[in-house]
Amino acid sequence: MILNQFLILAAVLFCIGIYGVLVRRNGVLVLMSIELMLNAVNLNLIAFSAYLKDTSGQIFVLFVITIAAAEVGVGLAIILLLFRNFRSPDLDQAQQLKG
Amino acid sequence: MTQFYRNYLAVAVFAVAALGMVGAMLGVGRLVRPNRPQPEKYIAYEAGSDPIRGFGQSNVRYYVYALLFVMFDVEAVFIFPWAINLEALGVSALISMIVFILVLTLGLVYAWRKGVLRWA
Amino acid sequence: MKVHWDLHALAPLVAVTVTIVVVLIADFFFEYRERFKTYQLAAFGTLAALIPIITLARDGGTRSLFGGAFVVDTYTLAFQGFFLIVAYVTLLISVDHIGEGDYYQGEFYVLVLTSTLGMMIMAGARDLITIFVALEMISIPTFVLAGWRKHDTRSNEAAVKYFIIGVLSSAVMLYGISMVYGLSGSTSLSGIAEYAGSAGTPALLSIAIFLTIVGFAFKISAVPFHFWAPDTYDGAPIPVTAFLSVASKAGGFVALLNVIFFGFYASHTSWQPIIWVLAALSMTVGNLVAIRQTSIVRMLAYSSIAQGGFMLVPFAVAGVGSSKHASFEAVIVYILIYGAMNLGMFACVIAAMRRTQSDEISSFGGMSKYSPILAVMTSAFLFSLAGIPPLAGWFAKFVMFRSVLDAGTTPAVILGVIAALNSVIAFFYYAGVARAIWFRETPEGIDLRPLKTPFALNAAIAITGSFVLIVGIYPQVIARLGELAGAAL
Repeated sequence: MILNQFLILAAVLFCIGIYGVLVRRNGVLVLMSIELMLNAVNLNLIAFSAYLKDTSGQIFVLFVITIAAAEVGVGLAIILLLFRNFRSPDLDQAQQLKG
Repeated sequence: MTQFYRNYLAVAVFAVAALGMVGAMLGVGRLVRPNRPQPEKYIAYEAGSDPIRGFGQSNVRYYVYALLFVMFDVEAVFIFPWAINLEALGVSALISMIVFILVLTLGLVYAWRKGVLRWA
Repeated sequence: MKVHWDLHALAPLVAVTVTIVVVLIADFFFEYRERFKTYQLAAFGTLAALIPIITLARDGGTRSLFGGAFVVDTYTLAFQGFFLIVAYVTLLISVDHIGEGDYYQGEFYVLVLTSTLGMMIMAGARDLITIFVALEMISIPTFVLAGWRKHDTRSNEAAVKYFIIGVLSSAVMLYGISMVYGLSGSTSLSGIAEYAGSAGTPALLSIAIFLTIVGFAFKISAVPFHFWAPDTYDGAPIPVTAFLSVASKAGGFVALLNVIFFGFYASHTSWQPIIWVLAALSMTVGNLVAIRQTSIVRMLAYSSIAQGGFMLVPFAVAGVGSSKHASFEAVIVYILIYGAMNLGMFACVIAAMRRTQSDEISSFGGMSKYSPILAVMTSAFLFSLAGIPPLAGWFAKFVMFRSVLDAGTTPAVILGVIAALNSVIAFFYYAGVARAIWFRETPEGIDLRPLKTPFALNAAIAITGSFVLIVGIYPQVIARLGELAGAAL
């Protein structure tokens, strides 16, 4: 069974996700990039699960999917608050507190 | 050519045919229809309410409904494996799923009590 | 396969869950003016959950549930009790702050308790799936708590930064975990330990461990993954900051303890250098930046980063010789003591800010004139954080240095020297605040009449203060607790 192709695809998706989080300034697009990273993880887990013929990887994926949904729910709410207060989803608006 | 690539040749032919058909239909439509641009035609259609700019032109009021839908839709993922194995797992699994669904329902009750389900 | 239910072992978790549900439902029915009753319910439930912990501790033994994914032993119980008490003190310090502002009370307590529930699950988690779920259960409510003041743009910013970093770190950690699973073929920590023991350290395992630890480093705000912490601590409401800097951080450390000591331990050549660097950087950068801060909250934020560095030191020396147990115990003892003194410190800051209305250190000048008792307590917590005997902080530092000496290798000794230098640096900025409180003039416009603090806040300061003093004078108490908890390893 093929494994490497899945792992490479997952690694590429993960890197695109990180790039998106670092470069995009629109909050919603940052969230989508994070989803991409989590889906790369899911792909990894499913590939390993099939390769090892072990179900715990697939169970892990169910938990990752549901928790990602909860995270995105909270994240959208937070970005919506930002949008209401600044009238823009641009994350660079939030620059009052300096490291 | 190996068997592997020959299988994909069918996919490629299919893709070209699909693109050709869509292109032909849109092209014919463009030749036949009259062209009268108006600004209203470019606004996203949103069930009669005004779209808000910035959020990909969608009304933020849909957000709560989308969220509630996604939550329940996704949590259902736990119910399918449970339903298949229910007989093997016995009564304790039934009780735990009832508790799970009750806690989920509490979230819906909370949203209802706080009035977010009312279209204001 | 029948599911085996050990209800006694789950009782503390069930008690907290029931409290969460009851508080949320009760909140629907209370009038606006009776909303403080939700606080009473939450506090009662938190204390009630301590009862099964005591009975379980009396029974002793190890209870393994859900195929070993959740284990209740002395280590689990010690941390579950710790998290419940931290949650209770957090409720005490937040009740007046949240009640007086125009905030949603019931929801606040629900979120604090949900996060606490996540920490309690984390204490018993011995499976990567359980650890992941517990970690998210800790984090997600705190994202909301950080943005609690909906119309305050600073609070928004705190929440956005915390959320993005929190989720990013989860994704990185998960990527590492997925590779660990692929290599070891198991998500249980015992299965991973078996694999790590037999396989040595293939390169891919090192990468997987590196990514996993980087994920945790974000959560415990170790340098260079700390940049979100000062902004989030500054922008969030102060009781939430106290909760984040103590409970949430301790939750991250418990996760790291589980993963490293129960899982990755045998591949110490992979994780030890990473943690060594994180520890050295966290202590040094945290302390050096803390000196320059003028706001007490930001100073405490950097001080908590530095304290996190001290907590990482025993990890960094754990892999060699006979130091495994000593390091494990040292981290446990340090977390327990740090929790008490940092919560107490924040309680004092909240009490003082009721008068000063500002978090500038200069505005705390002359606190001894209007509230001598508060000034004494604040100084006590400051000196405890600095590690001056006879306050609990010295014992935390002592066990940390003892684990370094137990290891005795060159890298361990170098790290010990860095830690010692940093303890000296830290003393300066803690003492600077104490000097302002006692010897500086009171700034213009501050009322000099005696400061009355609410009962709950006084109770929080009394609980943490007596802990800091008792443990400082009789460290055997906490040392024994650390030994008992360490026996679970």
